[in-house]
Amino acid sequence: MQKIYIITLICLLLFGCQATVNTVENEQKNRQLEVVDTSRVSTDAFLKKRLEIVSVDKRELDGGLLKVQVTARNVRTGFWAQLVSWFMGDSPYQIAYRFAWLDINGMQVDTATSTWIPITVIPGDSIRLKAVSPNPRCKYFTLSIRENEAARS
Amino acid sequence: MNKKNISLIGIISTAFFLAACGTSPARIDATGNEGLVTVDEVDFKDWQIAAEKGINSLLESGVLNRSDGRKTILMISTVKNATTQHINTRILTDKIRQALLRSGKVLTTTAVGGNGPDDAASKQVRRLEEDDMFNQTTVQKRGTAIAPDMSLSGEIVQQTSSQGRMRESYFFFHMALTDLITGLAVWEDNVEIAKQGKKPLLGW
Repeated sequence: MQKIYIITLICLLLFGCQATVNTVENEQKNRQLEVVDTSRVSTDAFLKKRLEIVSVDKRELDGGLLKVQVTARNVRTGFWAQLVSWFMGDSPYQIAYRFAWLDINGMQVDTATSTWIPITVIPGDSIRLKAVSPNPRCKYFTLSIRENEAARS
Repeated sequence: MNKKNISLIGIISTAFFLAACGTSPARIDATGNEGLVTVDEVDFKDWQIAAEKGINSLLESGVLNRSDGRKTILMISTVKNATTQHINTRILTDKIRQALLRSGKVLTTTAVGGNGPDDAASKQVRRLEEDDMFNQTTVQKRGTAIAPDMSLSGEIVQQTSSQGRMRESYFFFHMALTDLITGLAVWEDNVEIAKQGKKPLLGW
């Protein structure tokens, strides 16, 4: 009987320790974005299970540059998922992303930057990974996302 | 004598042991996340993040687009270093100017800059009109260099705090683009980088 009390207490404490985010957004959206047809290649099953790609949008800016926005959500919410994340040391989840830009022929366009940008994603929260093409010749892009091992506690 | 030898062997063994503990140097990917992370200093990754975010913001703003079809001529002004470190802010400005040049919207001038010209040659070659060694028809004339339309400036501010063994540094990269006709800032943005670390129990 005492064991049940202890287990229940531990469960309640863990529920209390959940560091998730609740979000609210407007339902009706009058957006003027172009939804991008994507082809995805995933090699990291752990990352795929934790971070869900919600949408990929693009917009052509004045001057011919392309702005891309990828919305992703950390779906590791709920008691068991949080427990596993806490045990694995990935709550909040640390990732890094990098955009690469390609011209109309699919050739990569060299940029002065293009570096891995670290970002923290709290469970339940959505993030928007944004980039602007380095010049008007860039028509396509590749977004790489990986777990940021260097930032894990 | 024996004691001396034993001490010597002990010192040499310890030195060998300590030397074996180090890792051999290796090249790392300069665009990756494998670089060292320090609390008190601006690491190379911090420069890259600040430059990338600044460039994205500046290109998206559209302030570099001109209606007359001419490219904006940009000069690099000063980036003030208000940190406790001796840092070369050129890492930031060079990345930004190269990205803007590659965007096709801007031409940067090296003939004038906040800390003097990047390249003194534009001025030097005009002094050749007093030198009879040179064919004067090939000497660059006065009044032909193009003056800048805009200037890029900034400031890097650092704030440090600590609590117990925890140390924290907050770096604030401020960048601004000024229209030199009006003197008004047409674009401004900040990139914030915060780093935290725990001091070891022993050592520094």
